Amino acid sequence: MANWVPLWLHRLGSPPVFYRFAGAVRPWAFGLALLLGAVALYGGLVVAPADYQQGDAYRIIFIHVPSAWMSLFIYGAMAVAAFVGLVWRIKIAEVVAMESAPIGAAFTLITLVTGSLWGKPMWGTWWTWDARLTSELVLLFIYLGIIGLYHSFEDRRQGARAAAFLVLVGAVNVPIVHFSVNWWNTLHQGSTIRLLGPSHIEASMLWPLLTMMAATKCYYVASLFARVRADLIASEGGKAWVRDIALGQPGNDAA
Amino acid sequence: MTPGSTPAACAALLRRDLTLAWRRRGDIAMPVLYAVIVTTLFPFAIGPEPALLARIAGGVVFVIVLLAILLSLDHLFRGDIDDGSMELLMLAPQPLALLVGMKILAHWITSSLPLIVVAPVLASMLKLPPEAMPVLVIALLLSTPLLCLLGAVLVALTAGSKRSGMLLALMLLPLCVPVVIFAAGALAAAQEGLSWVAPIAWLGAGLAMALVLAPLACAAALRIAMDT
Repeated sequence: MANWVPLWLHRLGSPPVFYRFAGAVRPWAFGLALLLGAVALYGGLVVAPADYQQGDAYRIIFIHVPSAWMSLFIYGAMAVAAFVGLVWRIKIAEVVAMESAPIGAAFTLITLVTGSLWGKPMWGTWWTWDARLTSELVLLFIYLGIIGLYHSFEDRRQGARAAAFLVLVGAVNVPIVHFSVNWWNTLHQGSTIRLLGPSHIEASMLWPLLTMMAATKCYYVASLFARVRADLIASEGGKAWVRDIALGQPGNDAA
Repeated sequence: MTPGSTPAACAALLRRDLTLAWRRRGDIAMPVLYAVIVTTLFPFAIGPEPALLARIAGGVVFVIVLLAILLSLDHLFRGDIDDGSMELLMLAPQPLALLVGMKILAHWITSSLPLIVVAPVLASMLKLPPEAMPVLVIALLLSTPLLCLLGAVLVALTAGSKRSGMLLALMLLPLCVPVVIFAAGALAAAQEGLSWVAPIAWLGAGLAMALVLAPLACAAALRIAMDT
Protein backbone atom coordinates (compact mmCIF):
# COMPACT_ATOMS: atom_id res chain seq x y z
CA MET A 1 0.00 0.00 0.00
CA ALA A 2 2.56 2.58 1.15
CA ASN A 3 5.09 1.05 -1.19
CA TRP A 4 4.21 3.33 -4.12
CA VAL A 5 5.81 6.42 -2.49
CA PRO A 6 9.43 5.18 -2.51
CA LEU A 7 8.79 3.51 -5.86
CA TRP A 8 7.49 6.75 -7.34
CA LEU A 9 10.42 8.74 -5.87
CA HIS A 10 12.78 6.17 -7.30
CA ARG A 11 11.25 6.45 -10.76
CA LEU A 12 11.41 10.26 -10.49
CA GLY A 13 15.20 9.97 -10.46
CA SER A 14 15.12 9.04 -14.13
CA PRO A 15 15.51 12.08 -16.40
CA PRO A 16 12.65 11.33 -18.86
CA VAL A 17 10.19 10.66 -16.01
CA PHE A 18 11.25 13.82 -14.21
CA TYR A 19 11.03 15.77 -17.46
CA ARG A 20 7.40 14.75 -17.97
CA PHE A 21 6.54 15.24 -14.28
CA ALA A 22 8.09 18.72 -14.27
CA GLY A 23 6.28 19.58 -17.48
CA ALA A 24 2.95 18.56 -15.93
CA VAL A 25 3.50 20.42 -12.62
CA ARG A 26 5.05 23.61 -13.98
CA PRO A 27 1.93 25.33 -15.48
CA TRP A 28 -0.05 24.67 -12.29
CA ALA A 29 2.70 26.00 -10.05
CA PHE A 30 3.14 29.04 -12.26
CA GLY A 31 -0.60 29.73 -12.38
CA LEU A 32 -0.88 29.35 -8.62
CA ALA A 33 2.11 31.69 -8.14
CA LEU A 34 0.47 34.36 -10.34
CA LEU A 35 -2.90 33.98 -8.58
CA LEU A 36 -1.49 34.03 -5.03
CA GLY A 37 0.90 36.85 -5.93
CA ALA A 38 -1.97 38.98 -7.29
CA VAL A 39 -4.11 38.30 -4.19
CA ALA A 40 -1.18 39.08 -1.88
CA LEU A 41 -0.34 42.31 -3.72
CA TYR A 42 -4.00 43.40 -3.55
CA GLY A 43 -4.12 42.56 0.15
CA GLY A 44 -0.80 44.24 0.85
CA LEU A 45 -1.12 47.36 -1.30
CA VAL A 46 -4.87 48.08 -1.02
CA VAL A 47 -6.52 46.27 1.89
CA ALA A 48 -3.85 46.48 4.60
CA PRO A 49 -3.84 49.80 6.51
CA ALA A 50 -0.89 52.19 6.40
CA ASP A 51 1.61 51.90 9.22
CA TYR A 52 1.19 54.54 11.95
CA GLN A 53 4.89 55.33 11.88
CA GLN A 54 6.20 54.48 8.42
CA GLY A 55 3.10 55.41 6.38
CA ASP A 56 2.87 53.60 3.06
CA ALA A 57 6.60 52.99 2.76
CA TYR A 58 6.38 49.84 4.86
CA ARG A 59 4.42 48.13 2.07
CA ILE A 60 7.68 47.06 0.48
CA ILE A 61 7.88 44.30 3.11
CA PHE A 62 5.34 42.34 1.06
CA ILE A 63 8.13 41.87 -1.49
CA HIS A 64 11.19 42.23 0.74
CA VAL A 65 10.40 39.74 3.51
CA PRO A 66 9.17 36.86 1.30
CA SER A 67 12.25 37.31 -0.90
CA ALA A 68 14.53 37.21 2.14
CA TRP A 69 12.82 34.02 3.33
CA MET A 70 13.19 32.51 -0.12
CA SER A 71 16.88 33.42 -0.32
CA LEU A 72 17.49 31.21 2.73
CA PHE A 73 14.87 28.59 1.88
CA ILE A 74 16.37 28.02 -1.57
CA TYR A 75 19.83 27.65 -0.04
CA GLY A 76 18.40 24.97 2.26
CA ALA A 77 16.65 23.19 -0.62
CA MET A 78 19.84 23.43 -2.68
CA ALA A 79 21.93 22.01 0.17
CA VAL A 80 19.57 19.04 0.58
CA ALA A 81 19.61 18.38 -3.17
CA ALA A 82 23.41 18.73 -3.26
CA PHE A 83 23.78 16.28 -0.38
CA VAL A 84 21.49 13.75 -2.04
CA GLY A 85 23.30 14.22 -5.33
CA LEU A 86 26.74 13.74 -3.81
CA VAL A 87 25.89 10.78 -1.59
CA TRP A 88 23.66 8.74 -3.92
CA ARG A 89 25.00 10.24 -7.18
CA ILE A 90 21.50 10.98 -8.42
CA LYS A 91 21.80 13.11 -11.51
CA ILE A 92 18.43 14.84 -11.07
CA ALA A 93 19.41 15.99 -7.56
CA GLU A 94 22.60 17.56 -8.92
CA VAL A 95 20.67 19.35 -11.66
CA VAL A 96 18.07 20.56 -9.15
CA ALA A 97 20.81 21.92 -6.86
CA MET A 98 22.60 23.71 -9.67
CA GLU A 99 19.47 25.18 -11.23
CA SER A 100 18.32 26.41 -7.80
CA ALA A 101 21.39 28.63 -7.42
CA PRO A 102 20.48 31.33 -10.01
CA ILE A 103 16.91 31.54 -8.61
CA GLY A 104 18.26 31.89 -5.08
CA ALA A 105 20.73 34.54 -6.24
CA ALA A 106 17.87 36.43 -7.91
CA PHE A 107 15.79 36.40 -4.71
CA THR A 108 18.82 37.54 -2.71
CA LEU A 109 19.35 40.41 -5.14
CA ILE A 110 15.66 41.38 -4.91
CA THR A 111 15.96 41.38 -1.11
CA LEU A 112 19.00 43.67 -1.23
CA VAL A 113 17.48 46.06 -3.79
CA THR A 114 14.08 46.36 -2.08
CA GLY A 115 15.83 46.70 1.28
CA SER A 116 17.94 49.60 0.09
CA LEU A 117 14.90 51.24 -1.58
CA TRP A 118 13.17 51.07 1.80
CA GLY A 119 16.30 52.12 3.67
CA LYS A 120 16.64 55.43 1.83
CA PRO A 121 13.44 57.05 3.22
CA MET A 122 13.50 55.16 6.56
CA TRP A 123 17.13 55.10 7.64
CA GLY A 124 18.19 57.95 5.33
CA THR A 125 20.77 55.83 3.51
CA TRP A 126 20.82 53.34 0.66
CA TRP A 127 23.30 51.08 2.35
CA THR A 128 24.58 50.67 5.85
CA TRP A 129 27.04 48.18 7.29
CA ASP A 130 24.44 46.43 9.32
CA ALA A 131 24.60 42.75 10.21
CA ARG A 132 21.59 41.49 8.29
CA LEU A 133 22.39 43.50 5.19
CA THR A 134 25.99 42.32 5.24
CA SER A 135 25.17 38.66 5.72
CA GLU A 136 22.62 38.85 2.90
CA LEU A 137 25.33 40.36 0.68
CA VAL A 138 27.74 37.58 1.66
CA LEU A 139 25.00 35.06 0.81
CA LEU A 140 24.75 36.64 -2.64
CA PHE A 141 28.52 36.25 -3.12
CA ILE A 142 28.31 32.60 -2.07
CA TYR A 143 25.54 32.00 -4.61
CA LEU A 144 27.65 33.67 -7.31
CA GLY A 145 30.67 31.55 -6.35
CA ILE A 146 28.58 28.38 -6.70
CA ILE A 147 27.27 29.45 -10.12
CA GLY A 148 30.79 30.42 -11.21
CA LEU A 149 32.31 27.12 -10.10
CA TYR A 150 29.57 25.15 -11.88
CA HIS A 151 30.25 26.91 -15.16
CA SER A 152 34.06 26.78 -14.92
CA PHE A 153 34.22 23.05 -15.68
CA GLU A 154 34.22 21.65 -19.21
CA ASP A 155 32.30 18.62 -18.00
CA ARG A 156 28.85 19.57 -16.71
CA ARG A 157 28.52 16.59 -14.40
CA GLN A 158 31.92 17.16 -12.78
CA GLY A 159 31.15 20.87 -12.40
CA ALA A 160 27.83 20.03 -10.77
CA ARG A 161 29.51 17.70 -8.27
CA ALA A 162 32.25 20.21 -7.39
CA ALA A 163 29.71 23.01 -7.00
CA ALA A 164 27.44 20.74 -4.94
CA PHE A 165 30.36 20.19 -2.60
CA LEU A 166 30.84 23.96 -2.35
CA VAL A 167 27.12 24.24 -1.48
CA LEU A 168 27.73 21.93 1.49
CA VAL A 169 30.87 23.84 2.58
CA GLY A 170 28.78 27.00 2.40
CA ALA A 171 25.98 25.36 4.39
CA VAL A 172 28.43 24.79 7.26
CA ASN A 173 29.76 28.31 6.92
CA VAL A 174 26.62 30.40 6.35
CA PRO A 175 25.41 30.14 9.98
CA ILE A 176 28.93 31.03 11.20
CA VAL A 177 29.01 34.05 8.89
CA HIS A 178 25.55 35.04 10.08
CA PHE A 179 26.38 34.87 13.79
CA SER A 180 29.79 36.49 13.48
CA VAL A 181 28.33 39.37 11.51
CA ASN A 182 25.57 39.73 14.09
CA TRP A 183 28.16 39.89 16.81
CA TRP A 184 30.02 42.53 14.79
CA ASN A 185 27.31 45.11 14.29
CA THR A 186 23.55 45.30 14.23
CA LEU A 187 20.96 47.92 13.38
CA HIS A 188 18.29 45.97 11.52
CA GLN A 189 15.11 45.22 13.46
CA GLY A 190 14.70 41.73 14.85
CA SER A 191 12.23 39.18 13.50
CA THR A 192 8.63 40.26 13.83
CA ILE A 193 7.05 37.01 12.74
CA ARG A 194 7.63 33.90 14.78
CA LEU A 195 6.68 30.32 14.34
CA LEU A 196 6.44 29.87 18.12
CA GLY A 197 4.69 32.44 20.21
CA PRO A 198 2.71 35.51 19.14
CA SER A 199 3.86 37.51 16.11
CA HIS A 200 4.30 41.25 16.53
CA ILE A 201 2.33 42.10 13.44
CA GLU A 202 -1.27 43.10 12.74
CA ALA A 203 -3.37 40.28 11.20
CA SER A 204 -4.40 42.43 8.21
CA MET A 205 -0.69 42.83 7.36
CA LEU A 206 0.19 39.23 8.17
CA TRP A 207 -2.08 37.40 5.73
CA PRO A 208 -0.81 39.16 2.56
CA LEU A 209 2.73 38.43 3.74
CA LEU A 210 2.03 34.73 4.19
CA THR A 211 0.14 34.58 0.88
CA MET A 212 3.10 36.19 -0.85
CA MET A 213 5.36 33.64 0.79
CA ALA A 214 3.24 30.84 -0.71
CA ALA A 215 3.35 32.63 -4.07
CA THR A 216 7.16 32.86 -4.06
CA LYS A 217 7.38 29.16 -3.16
CA CYS A 218 5.13 28.28 -6.12
CA TYR A 219 7.16 30.56 -8.37
CA TYR A 220 10.34 28.82 -7.23
CA VAL A 221 8.88 25.42 -8.14
CA ALA A 222 7.70 26.66 -11.53
CA SER A 223 10.96 28.40 -12.37
CA LEU A 224 13.08 25.52 -11.09
CA PHE A 225 11.16 22.94 -13.13
CA ALA A 226 11.44 25.04 -16.29
CA ARG A 227 15.21 25.38 -15.77
CA VAL A 228 15.66 21.70 -14.94
CA ARG A 229 13.78 20.70 -18.11
CA ALA A 230 16.02 22.93 -20.20
CA ASP A 231 19.14 21.59 -18.48
CA LEU A 232 18.05 17.97 -18.97
CA ILE A 233 17.40 18.52 -22.68
CA ALA A 234 20.85 20.13 -23.02
CA SER A 235 22.82 17.52 -21.08
CA GLU A 236 20.92 14.44 -22.33
CA GLY A 237 20.98 15.66 -25.92
CA GLY A 238 22.24 12.35 -27.33
CA LYS A 239 19.68 10.14 -25.62
CA ALA A 240 16.76 8.44 -27.32
CA TRP A 241 14.04 10.05 -25.20
CA VAL A 242 15.23 13.54 -26.16
CA ARG A 243 15.21 12.52 -29.83
CA ASP A 244 11.66 11.27 -29.45
CA ILE A 245 10.60 14.63 -28.04
CA ALA A 246 12.46 16.53 -30.72
CA LEU A 247 10.86 14.43 -33.47
CA GLY A 248 7.45 14.80 -31.88
CA GLN A 249 7.02 11.08 -31.33
CA PRO A 250 5.19 9.84 -28.25
CA GLY A 251 7.77 8.72 -25.69
CA ASN A 252 7.70 5.14 -24.46
CA ASP A 253 7.34 5.04 -20.67
CA ALA A 254 9.16 1.78 -20.26
CA ALA A 255 12.47 3.20 -21.53
CA MET B 1 59.26 4.91 12.16
CA THR B 2 58.88 1.87 9.91
CA PRO B 3 59.12 2.79 6.24
CA GLY B 4 55.71 2.76 4.55
CA SER B 5 53.80 3.43 7.76
CA THR B 6 51.46 6.40 7.89
CA PRO B 7 53.69 8.60 10.11
CA ALA B 8 56.68 7.88 7.85
CA ALA B 9 54.68 8.78 4.75
CA CYS B 10 53.47 12.01 6.35
CA ALA B 11 57.00 12.97 7.41
CA ALA B 12 58.38 12.15 3.97
CA LEU B 13 55.70 14.22 2.24
CA LEU B 14 56.30 17.16 4.59
CA ARG B 15 60.06 16.95 3.99
CA ARG B 16 59.54 16.74 0.22
CA ASP B 17 57.26 19.79 0.11
CA LEU B 18 59.56 21.85 2.31
CA THR B 19 62.58 20.84 0.20
CA LEU B 20 60.75 21.76 -3.01
CA ALA B 21 59.82 25.12 -1.53
CA TRP B 22 63.40 25.72 -0.34
CA ARG B 23 64.80 24.98 -3.81
CA ARG B 24 62.67 27.84 -5.11
CA ARG B 25 63.28 30.35 -2.33
CA GLY B 26 62.21 33.26 -4.55
CA ASP B 27 58.63 32.03 -4.50
CA ILE B 28 58.58 32.15 -0.69
CA ALA B 29 59.53 35.82 -0.81
CA MET B 30 56.73 36.72 -3.23
CA PRO B 31 53.78 36.93 -0.76
CA VAL B 32 55.97 38.92 1.63
CA LEU B 33 57.00 41.38 -1.10
CA TYR B 34 53.38 41.67 -2.17
CA ALA B 35 52.31 42.46 1.41
CA VAL B 36 55.08 45.06 1.85
CA ILE B 37 54.23 46.82 -1.42
CA VAL B 38 50.48 46.91 -0.77
CA THR B 39 51.15 48.26 2.73
CA THR B 40 53.26 51.11 1.34
CA LEU B 41 50.44 52.00 -1.06
CA PHE B 42 48.01 52.74 1.78
CA PRO B 43 49.71 55.88 3.15
CA PHE B 44 50.01 57.16 -0.42
CA ALA B 45 46.32 56.57 -1.05
CA ILE B 46 44.78 57.90 2.18
CA GLY B 47 47.44 60.28 3.50
CA PRO B 48 50.19 59.89 6.09
CA GLU B 49 48.41 61.17 9.25
CA PRO B 50 49.49 58.82 12.10
CA ALA B 51 46.11 58.92 13.87
CA LEU B 52 44.21 57.78 10.76
CA LEU B 53 46.82 55.10 9.96
CA ALA B 54 46.77 53.76 13.53
CA ARG B 55 42.98 53.52 13.36
CA ILE B 56 43.00 51.33 10.22
CA ALA B 57 46.35 49.52 10.71
CA GLY B 58 44.94 46.29 12.18
CA GLY B 59 42.25 45.79 9.59
CA VAL B 60 44.56 46.68 6.71
CA VAL B 61 47.23 44.20 7.83
CA PHE B 62 44.67 41.39 8.13
CA VAL B 63 43.17 42.07 4.72
CA ILE B 64 46.63 42.24 3.12
CA VAL B 65 47.67 38.95 4.75
CA LEU B 66 44.41 37.39 3.56
CA LEU B 67 45.01 38.54 -0.02
CA ALA B 68 48.65 37.38 0.05
CA ILE B 69 47.51 33.93 1.20
CA LEU B 70 44.84 33.91 -1.50
CA LEU B 71 47.46 34.60 -4.17
CA SER B 72 49.80 31.88 -2.90
CA LEU B 73 46.99 29.29 -2.60
CA ASP B 74 46.63 28.94 -6.34
CA HIS B 75 49.71 26.75 -6.69
CA LEU B 76 49.04 24.64 -3.59
CA PHE B 77 48.08 21.56 -5.64
CA ARG B 78 48.90 22.88 -9.13
CA GLY B 79 52.42 21.40 -9.42
CA ASP B 80 51.37 18.01 -8.05
CA ILE B 81 48.42 17.79 -10.43
CA ASP B 82 50.53 18.82 -13.43
CA ASP B 83 53.30 16.25 -12.86
CA GLY B 84 50.95 13.47 -11.76
CA SER B 85 52.08 13.15 -8.12
CA MET B 86 48.54 13.91 -7.00
CA GLU B 87 47.24 10.70 -8.61
CA LEU B 88 49.93 8.77 -6.76
CA LEU B 89 48.96 10.40 -3.46
CA MET B 90 45.35 9.42 -4.11
CA LEU B 91 46.33 5.83 -4.84
CA ALA B 92 48.58 5.63 -1.76
CA PRO B 93 47.44 3.26 1.00
CA GLN B 94 47.73 6.05 3.59
CA PRO B 95 44.58 8.17 4.19
CA LEU B 96 44.46 10.99 1.66
CA ALA B 97 43.13 13.43 4.29
CA LEU B 98 46.33 13.08 6.36
CA LEU B 99 48.59 13.48 3.33
CA VAL B 100 46.66 16.53 2.18
CA GLY B 101 46.87 17.87 5.73
CA MET B 102 50.68 17.56 5.51
CA LYS B 103 50.67 19.48 2.23
CA ILE B 104 48.59 22.22 3.85
CA LEU B 105 50.98 22.32 6.81
CA ALA B 106 53.96 22.68 4.47
CA HIS B 107 52.14 25.41 2.58
CA TRP B 108 51.35 27.23 5.82
CA ILE B 109 55.01 27.07 6.88
CA THR B 110 56.28 28.39 3.56
CA SER B 111 53.64 31.01 2.78
CA SER B 112 52.17 32.19 6.09
CA LEU B 113 55.04 32.02 8.58
CA PRO B 114 57.08 34.63 6.63
CA LEU B 115 53.97 36.82 6.56
CA ILE B 116 53.54 36.48 10.33
CA VAL B 117 57.20 37.42 10.81
CA VAL B 118 56.87 40.49 8.63
CA ALA B 119 53.38 41.54 9.85
CA PRO B 120 54.58 43.44 12.98
CA VAL B 121 56.92 45.45 10.74
CA LEU B 122 54.05 46.27 8.40
CA ALA B 123 51.82 47.17 11.35
CA SER B 124 54.42 49.50 12.81
CA MET B 125 54.83 51.13 9.39
CA LEU B 126 51.12 51.89 9.72
CA LYS B 127 51.68 53.21 13.31
CA LEU B 128 49.92 50.41 15.16
CA PRO B 129 50.56 51.04 18.88
CA PRO B 130 53.24 48.64 20.26
CA GLU B 131 50.97 47.29 23.02
CA ALA B 132 48.68 45.78 20.36
CA MET B 133 51.56 43.90 18.67
CA PRO B 134 51.33 40.67 20.73
CA VAL B 135 47.61 40.45 19.97
CA LEU B 136 48.36 40.93 16.26
CA VAL B 137 50.82 38.04 16.30
CA ILE B 138 48.50 35.76 18.29
CA ALA B 139 45.57 36.55 16.00
CA LEU B 140 47.71 35.88 12.93
CA LEU B 141 49.04 32.61 14.38
CA LEU B 142 45.44 31.41 14.79
CA SER B 143 43.85 32.92 11.68
CA THR B 144 46.44 32.11 8.99
CA PRO B 145 46.18 28.29 9.42
CA LEU B 146 42.42 28.71 9.41
CA LEU B 147 42.59 30.59 6.10
CA CYS B 148 45.01 28.03 4.62
CA LEU B 149 42.74 25.13 5.60
CA LEU B 150 39.60 26.81 4.29
CA GLY B 151 41.39 27.91 1.13
CA ALA B 152 42.80 24.43 0.51
CA VAL B 153 39.27 22.96 0.34
CA LEU B 154 38.25 25.49 -2.29
CA VAL B 155 41.51 25.18 -4.26
CA ALA B 156 40.92 21.42 -4.34
CA LEU B 157 37.46 22.04 -5.82
CA THR B 158 38.84 24.21 -8.63
CA ALA B 159 41.70 21.76 -9.29
CA GLY B 160 39.86 20.13 -12.20
CA SER B 161 38.84 23.37 -13.92
CA LYS B 162 40.92 25.42 -16.32
CA ARG B 163 40.17 28.93 -15.03
CA SER B 164 40.62 29.31 -11.31
CA GLY B 165 42.32 32.60 -10.30
CA MET B 166 39.44 35.06 -9.88
CA LEU B 167 36.98 32.25 -9.23
CA LEU B 168 38.95 31.25 -6.16
CA ALA B 169 38.68 34.80 -4.81
CA LEU B 170 34.93 34.82 -5.44
CA MET B 171 34.54 31.52 -3.59
CA LEU B 172 36.97 32.05 -0.73
CA LEU B 173 36.51 35.65 0.35
CA PRO B 174 32.84 35.41 1.45
CA LEU B 175 33.72 32.38 3.57
CA CYS B 176 36.57 34.31 5.22
CA VAL B 177 34.30 37.00 6.65
CA PRO B 178 34.14 35.46 10.17
CA VAL B 179 37.95 35.11 10.33
CA VAL B 180 38.46 38.76 9.39
CA ILE B 181 35.78 39.91 11.84
CA PHE B 182 37.24 38.04 14.82
CA ALA B 183 40.91 38.71 14.05
CA ALA B 184 40.42 42.43 13.44
CA GLY B 185 37.95 42.56 16.33
CA ALA B 186 40.57 41.23 18.75
CA LEU B 187 43.06 43.82 17.54
CA ALA B 188 40.54 46.67 17.77
CA ALA B 189 39.67 45.60 21.32
CA ALA B 190 43.37 45.51 22.26
CA GLN B 191 43.89 48.99 20.79
CA GLU B 192 41.05 50.37 22.90
CA GLY B 193 42.36 48.64 26.01
CA LEU B 194 39.44 46.20 26.21
CA SER B 195 39.60 42.46 26.76
CA TRP B 196 40.52 40.67 23.53
CA VAL B 197 40.23 37.10 24.79
CA ALA B 198 36.72 36.37 23.44
CA PRO B 199 37.43 36.90 19.71
CA ILE B 200 40.75 35.06 20.04
CA ALA B 201 38.92 32.16 21.67
CA TRP B 202 36.46 32.15 18.76
CA LEU B 203 39.37 32.01 16.32
CA GLY B 204 40.83 29.10 18.29
CA ALA B 205 37.48 27.30 18.21
CA GLY B 206 37.26 27.83 14.46
CA LEU B 207 40.80 26.56 13.99
CA ALA B 208 40.08 23.44 16.06
CA MET B 209 37.02 22.70 13.92
CA ALA B 210 38.86 23.39 10.65
CA LEU B 211 41.81 21.21 11.68
CA VAL B 212 39.47 18.25 11.99
CA LEU B 213 37.07 18.89 9.13
CA ALA B 214 39.07 20.72 6.46
CA PRO B 215 41.57 17.94 5.53
CA LEU B 216 38.68 15.48 5.20
CA ALA B 217 36.70 17.94 3.09
CA CYS B 218 39.81 18.74 1.07
CA ALA B 219 40.42 15.06 0.29
CA ALA B 220 36.78 14.59 -0.73
CA ALA B 221 36.93 17.70 -2.91
CA LEU B 222 40.13 16.50 -4.61
CA ARG B 223 38.48 13.17 -5.41
CA ILE B 224 35.53 15.01 -6.95
CA ALA B 225 37.65 17.46 -8.90
CA MET B 226 40.09 14.84 -10.19
CA ASP B 227 37.12 12.56 -10.95
CA THR B 228 38.57 9.29 -9.73
